Amino acid sequence: MDAAGRWARIESREGRTTLHLAGEWRVAALAEIDAALAALPPAARIDALDGAGLEALDTAGALVALRFVQARGGDPAAVALNGFDERRSRVVRLVASRLGDVAGARETRRAGFFATVGRNAVGIANLLGGHLNFLGQIAVGLAGAIANPRRFRIKELAAQFEQVGINAIPVVALVTFLIGIVFAYLLGLQAEKYGANIFVVDGVALGMAREFSPIIVAVIVAGRSGAAFTAQLGTMRLTEETDAIRVLGLAPMDVLMIPRLVALMVALPLLVFVGNVMGNFGAMFMADTMLGITPTTYLERLQAAVRARHYVVGLAKAPVFAFFIAVIAIRMGMTVSRDTRSIGINTTSTVVQAIVAVILLDAVFAVVFQKLGI
Amino acid sequence: MAADAPILEVENVVTRFGAQAVHDGVSFAVGRGELVALIGGSGTGKTVLLREIIGLHRPSAGAIRLLGTDIWRSSAGELAAVRRRFGMMFQDGALFSSLDVAHNVATPIREQLDLPPHVLWPLVQLRVSLAELPPEAAAKMPSQLSGGMRKRAAIARALALEPEIIFLDEPTSGLDPITARAFDRLMRFLVDDLGITVFVVTHDLDTLLTVTDRVIVLADGKVLADGPVREVMAVTDPWVQQYFSIRTMVGGDWQNANTHGA
Repeated sequence: MDAAGRWARIESREGRTTLHLAGEWRVAALAEIDAALAALPPAARIDALDGAGLEALDTAGALVALRFVQARGGDPAAVALNGFDERRSRVVRLVASRLGDVAGARETRRAGFFATVGRNAVGIANLLGGHLNFLGQIAVGLAGAIANPRRFRIKELAAQFEQVGINAIPVVALVTFLIGIVFAYLLGLQAEKYGANIFVVDGVALGMAREFSPIIVAVIVAGRSGAAFTAQLGTMRLTEETDAIRVLGLAPMDVLMIPRLVALMVALPLLVFVGNVMGNFGAMFMADTMLGITPTTYLERLQAAVRARHYVVGLAKAPVFAFFIAVIAIRMGMTVSRDTRSIGINTTSTVVQAIVAVILLDAVFAVVFQKLGI
Repeated sequence: MAADAPILEVENVVTRFGAQAVHDGVSFAVGRGELVALIGGSGTGKTVLLREIIGLHRPSAGAIRLLGTDIWRSSAGELAAVRRRFGMMFQDGALFSSLDVAHNVATPIREQLDLPPHVLWPLVQLRVSLAELPPEAAAKMPSQLSGGMRKRAAIARALALEPEIIFLDEPTSGLDPITARAFDRLMRFLVDDLGITVFVVTHDLDTLLTVTDRVIVLADGKVLADGPVREVMAVTDPWVQQYFSIRTMVGGDWQNANTHGA
């Protein structure tokens, strides 16, 4: 018996065509069964199924048999069943009654290229519009908190400050120290050629104060605290905690959002200061070992080379960065939809948006400062 | 395999979390084609027992034989083979949130079998239909479904490979009575028409009274009662008596029912 004949054969007698089924018509063998049916000779419409040779039949097997009957022009609901025991014929009748639901089933289609581009474009426009809207809300909330300081939640603010400020010091210190080392090494390679070793101090101190420390610290904070804000608030929304806060007569703005925003705006300049100090320590270490500049010489040169306004420029950017990181993170957290996947998506999006926002703002600052001659 | 051999045997299972013993020698068996319910108060370890049966949590002692395989003394390969033969519906469905319902149902099928699309998708749609979901639900994401529909979609996924036994963890919790009763009928349909054994952890008295073949009561770490619901109701245990007396309170005599327990 050939492979196809093992599963099914067609028999025509006295104008009636019968499909004989044999073997275990179960879901495990479905691929083989389907191939066997496809290999059957073309025949007139099938009037009957014969199940005398069946060893097993489940709904999947019945489905394939009935769809074959359907494809050959038979009526699955009226097809005669010969040699089926009671349970198996019940399975066949059951599946026959559900064929209407199954008709036309195919893989749900993925959106095409243009649909995806269009949807993403609309999505980004909605996102930015929503950000703008939220910016207004949070400004009103902030103004309200300033006008009515009793609404300000000092305890919550302190708890947030510890998380986003104090707990971030080790990682900020480590990263900026290493950046200081690398920065001094790169400048040192060039400066050595011209015997201008001492100017490495100018380069590092200026660069760290104006650009590197604010940017690097803001990027760290965007990844660390921005992601945390979105995940925390998103989870609270999922577990309906934010709704509970509302129902208890509290405002999520006062309890959740303003403390996070203010904590981040206070913490970031302080972290930038930590970054400045550690970056110079890193450079001092490298200058000593590579260029023979002693720490004393380094500090003397530092005082002469860098004016206070350079530090102010760097520190002034920090609260602005912090404001936008917090606004993005909080809004992404508060717009998590009610499924778990959405938290992951929004958290990722927060980090990407916040880092882009920081770089963008820094470029704006660069242009403005240049025009103002600061 | 003999048709009358139990499909599931739980033997002297002991479970300890630290010093606290949740199960202290739990034993029972489930035969093919039965609809068995496991009940017990909060903290009696119903869900833990279910997780032990399906191989997610190792019991401290005892043996569990499911479909002829000793779950906790078998190789990874044997365990995987058994996993293909049972279905599980978790309490909240545990649908994969990044996939629509059709792809959720298709996941176990695609993992095990290499079916051409013209066989696979009708089969998926049949599962959706057997779980009493409307055909258009197949294209929806889990987040777009109501709680009851999510549970049905989870059943459709559990049915995907036509399992021999299906485990349901609190299938009717959080559903309105109408949807819950429809679920009861669905369970009965799985047993009577598809010949699947159903093992259900539940708190729902109506489920117990109307559709189960047998009820197993878990209390104080042991099986307190095991039998048809009428027999279990007659057991003279304060917890069992109080549990079933709740029902008589509905439209019945509140005062007397209240003095019964506590």
